Amino acid sequence: MSTATHEGDNRTHISLTINGLAVDVTAGMTLVEAAWHAGVPGITGVGCLEGVCGSCRVMLRKDKVVSVGLACQTFVESGIEVIFLPAASAPRHHYDISDFKDSWDIHARFHSIFPEASRCRHCHGCVGACPKDISVEDGVALAAQGRYREAGEAFFECVMCELCDVACPELIAPAHVGLFSRRITAHFHLRPPNLITRLEELRQRREEMGEGEKDED
Amino acid sequence: MRSGTLLKQALESYRSDADVGPLPPPVDTDSLLNTFHPDHLRGSVVKLGVGVNAGDSCQRDLADLLQTEAYIDEADLAGTPVTDVDVLVIGGGGAGCAAALAAAEKGARVLLATKLRLGDSNTVMAEGGIQASIEPDDSVQKHIQDTLRGGHHAGNPSLVASMAEDGPDVLRWLIHLGMQFELTASGDLQTRRAGGMSASRLVYCRDYTGLEMMRVLREAVIQHRSIEVWEQSPAVELLSNEFGLKCVGAVLTSLIDGQMRIVRTRSVILATGGLGRLHLNGFATSNHLGATGDGLVLAYRIGAKLCELDSFQYHPTGLVYPSHLSGKLVTEGVRAAGALLLNANGNRFIDELQPRDIVCAAILRECQEGRGVRIDDERVGVWLDTPRLEQTQPGLLERQFPNLMSRTKGSGLDPRTQPLLVHPTLHYQNGGVIIDTSGASTVPGLYAVGEVAGGIHGRNRIMGNALLEIICFGRRAGYAATAKRDRGPKKVTLEHINQLRRALTLAKMPMTRRAPQILPAYAKGGLWTR
Repeated sequence: MSTATHEGDNRTHISLTINGLAVDVTAGMTLVEAAWHAGVPGITGVGCLEGVCGSCRVMLRKDKVVSVGLACQTFVESGIEVIFLPAASAPRHHYDISDFKDSWDIHARFHSIFPEASRCRHCHGCVGACPKDISVEDGVALAAQGRYREAGEAFFECVMCELCDVACPELIAPAHVGLFSRRITAHFHLRPPNLITRLEELRQRREEMGEGEKDED
Repeated sequence: MRSGTLLKQALESYRSDADVGPLPPPVDTDSLLNTFHPDHLRGSVVKLGVGVNAGDSCQRDLADLLQTEAYIDEADLAGTPVTDVDVLVIGGGGAGCAAALAAAEKGARVLLATKLRLGDSNTVMAEGGIQASIEPDDSVQKHIQDTLRGGHHAGNPSLVASMAEDGPDVLRWLIHLGMQFELTASGDLQTRRAGGMSASRLVYCRDYTGLEMMRVLREAVIQHRSIEVWEQSPAVELLSNEFGLKCVGAVLTSLIDGQMRIVRTRSVILATGGLGRLHLNGFATSNHLGATGDGLVLAYRIGAKLCELDSFQYHPTGLVYPSHLSGKLVTEGVRAAGALLLNANGNRFIDELQPRDIVCAAILRECQEGRGVRIDDERVGVWLDTPRLEQTQPGLLERQFPNLMSRTKGSGLDPRTQPLLVHPTLHYQNGGVIIDTSGASTVPGLYAVGEVAGGIHGRNRIMGNALLEIICFGRRAGYAATAKRDRGPKKVTLEHINQLRRALTLAKMPMTRRAPQILPAYAKGGLWTR
């Protein structure tokens, strides 16, 4: 069986820098564990520690190659330089899903909210940045064509780390395009008969029991 | 005590097609729980000495935290900038976002302050699903009964009834906001049945239900015009009126620059989550980094009554290695799909689908009686036999549990060929702040929702009720907090802290330790120090 899981004996020492500080750690640690172990100050962008909250965004340099990733899912390597990235700035694309009453004009609305989405220049920056191996570029293209269900499906594993937003030279905000696509699909098309039937039963029962019954205190 | 089989030996003797032997005859569950469940560990429970729960049983580590000195006193308030809002929500998980959205729906100006990033929470990690009685053979009444029975009849029936009644409407609200669920071919919501349910009632989104919920709520909060979000802003204290009897705001600090800020408001909604990162009784935890029980400490100091402080849920199957995932969950769904639990001898020892507290106690029994698989002095566990599952149902792990597969990828561990070493992990705080059906605590102006609140799950929570609870009571508290219209606070003070200090001194208790803890000791580098 694989040896990576057998820890304990003869751990190799590894030197790297985190936020400019030289740290000395042992192999098998994640970048988060390394930062804690070395007492690197100011590491507050850490959340779930299992790669689903998207908080612990880091930029890494190994020789001349620069990449990004999630610190809780990335293991230490000798000689790499690591910078914990600050949280993403506030989004520039604004919409309120309650304003959408008519699903026939959704295509026009999408392009007025995300005008950059149709300007993708296929640089693959977003694809390379995604720690979840999402085909971000294809997803954005699908959304721009109005294929929101498929676009949303492409972003199924998105953890909202917003690293693709940072990588995009056209400022498309792909993570938010993906989430918009998913939300629109549910908002307009999810009408499950079993749920609707039960809601109607409960409404009728409340009516029978008299108005204003609901939790008067 | 180094009993048990070493990992290397155990791996060598493991065969995914070996005979696992018959299931041993069931033992008396009460004596199993009393002997092995961590809630019953000798010396793990003490009586509280000060505060409204004085005399009640409380887990020892939590009691130490509840009866501590505060970080600040009145001198710290002078010159601190003040912000006025209608509703202050403390906590940025599912409950906090639901409360903020509900309050904003009713026209309130809302400030949501969260210790880490908006969405950093246990919500985002929830895998299983959310309960709502929507199937024809199911009813609100059955949901109520299952929840009360699962909680060993210690839950508050009126809270449970509110939650079960709200279930279907919670789903409608989530769908309106844009959350997706699994559907059947005919477009019905797909349901499944999990431990403790008398009908098929769990709706879900593959094994990413919490992530799907959290990213939708997070986006809805960010996009909302009347909700302001302060990230990296933990609460260090609540504020009271001049009599120490009403909550009128909070003092927040910043992890970025250490600046304190006073927030003055009519209503504070605590949605700070649980306390797994206190590692009660030395256990690993499935919880996110911020789960340090801050809300319990703040609420207790200002006089809110708490309940079930000696009852916690230890999820049976937390990973033992790889070490960076120590304590992280393997969802109950894997056992529901047919994966067996085996001890180091390769034998089954418990019906895997018994309630969580019983399976947990059985695993601890195996480990303590020398039938566990041991890595070193501290780390021991039993096998969760995923290769056998893969053998009988090829492709199932990849199809139904993408989250599990992508998590173990990259650490050289493949659950399809190597069994997972698991041990119970601290998962959920069953009790918490006592609330009524609108989420109001016993202190005027203070609401509590989500894991920090208690009374719903009794002494054991069943799967899928946590995601329902956070939305149900989040919304109720958001609406109620907005409905109360008075002229707002005249004076904001720390009178309740003065009272606490008097009580601690009279009880001759040490005042060396300060709380809330904010971050676990191993991550203290994140705290701003002057």
